[in-house]
Amino acid sequence: MIVTWRIGIRLALIIVVTVILQVSFFSLVPTLGAVPDLVPVVVVALGLLGGGVVGAVCGFATGLLLDSVLLQTLGASSLVLLTIGYLAGRYREGFEITNSLIPSLLAGGFTLLAGAGYAAVQLMLGVETPVSLLILREILVQALLAIVLALPTYPLLRRALRPALIDTAPSHRVLAPASVRRARGGIRSGLRTARARSPRVGGGVA
Amino acid sequence: MYRKQVRRRRAVLVALIVVSLILISVSFSEAQSGPLHTIQRGISDVLSPLSEGAERALKPARDLVNWFDETFNARGENEALRDEVAELRGDLADAQSALGENQELREQLDLRQTSALGGFEPVTGRVIGRSPTLWYSTVTIDKGSSSGVEVNDAVANGDGLVGRISDVTRGTAQVTLITDHRSSVSARVLPDGPSGVVEPEVGDPDDLLLDFIDNDETDLEGKILVTAGWSNGQVSSAYPPGLEIGRVSEAEPGEQESFQRVHVDPFADLRELDFVQVLTGGPERPGVPG
Repeated sequence: MIVTWRIGIRLALIIVVTVILQVSFFSLVPTLGAVPDLVPVVVVALGLLGGGVVGAVCGFATGLLLDSVLLQTLGASSLVLLTIGYLAGRYREGFEITNSLIPSLLAGGFTLLAGAGYAAVQLMLGVETPVSLLILREILVQALLAIVLALPTYPLLRRALRPALIDTAPSHRVLAPASVRRARGGIRSGLRTARARSPRVGGGVA
Repeated sequence: MYRKQVRRRRAVLVALIVVSLILISVSFSEAQSGPLHTIQRGISDVLSPLSEGAERALKPARDLVNWFDETFNARGENEALRDEVAELRGDLADAQSALGENQELREQLDLRQTSALGGFEPVTGRVIGRSPTLWYSTVTIDKGSSSGVEVNDAVANGDGLVGRISDVTRGTAQVTLITDHRSSVSARVLPDGPSGVVEPEVGDPDDLLLDFIDNDETDLEGKILVTAGWSNGQVSSAYPPGLEIGRVSEAEPGEQESFQRVHVDPFADLRELDFVQVLTGGPERPGVPG
């Protein structure tokens, strides 16, 4: 991913909208006995699109905002989310995404990991009351809901960040820098040409 | 070149982890008035209009999802409610009879009729946010210090006790629910049962535990639990007395302990809260910072 300041603003907007949607909508609609968690799904998607560093930074920022809005222990969500963002990004750097279901399955797996990580952080900070085994069921249901949430989320984010994605370029030539493309007639016309010349690649190394 | 990139990537990751750990450590040990909490409150205040707007705009979609979820659960709930109605009819007859006697005795003693919440000024707040993690049972409401809400004010809804205010900004307040692992409520069993402390079981919002009840206490099942609201003149419970919490569902002897394990079904549906009432003002409670 080529992170220009415009893409940076898009990423920031995605993070703010995600946190607001989570806190004001998804957290208020318990489904199948658990709360759907959009936050890890978006962080994993950003990691898959942008790579390890982008995933880690976005995860850290999302966690910081989430903890601030909810007045929770600052840093706990950041630590968990930056880890899954980084791991998702590393997966993308090492493996090809050949199937459209892979991002959803990865989102489910990393949400499960986030649930376990969050439990570890909380137990480390100290929980004085008994912990029900039902918490395992909730973490599992959250992971299943994450798979469903990722189905529309990943393509949506991919579309929103398309100008920055290297794999949208034609495979047989190197994409010129953003400033040069703008000089030639803007990013959109450049991408239209690129898409017309070669079929879109489902995956590729970001 | 590649090695340099790898080194930079690792440096970013390590830096972020270290910053996160420092933030956790400072935020966890810092007082509510500390700089980190002040910044958090500032960010929360700035984003609260957005949360409120999103909550209102997405209400129809939320109602739709909740409708599906409720319809899914309705059949089992219907049977349980029929049983409860039959039981409550009997209780109502007893209560009406007791109420008549009570009024008669009050008239004889010339006592003024006051409710358990006399002196409090309820402020109705709309829930505009909620924590997605299972470890924090907190909700954010759209009323803050500008509406007279203070830290440690009790929060209830039409069904019973919900929690208490744990943090306040100008326009919003955070309610720590009674299912949060940091919550404990002193309570007593009606009509003249024992007193104990209600604690949650993390991960199960439909079950509370009443602790410190001796194994000798029997016949607790089905009885109603209210806040004790105790005070010894220097230290007080943050909750006023007489607020309904829930009903004892099961009592089992504690293993290797002298206390029972008493399970309580909370009256308030703490998963689906739309509006709550913050009990502001009220009599002074010594030892409870407001």
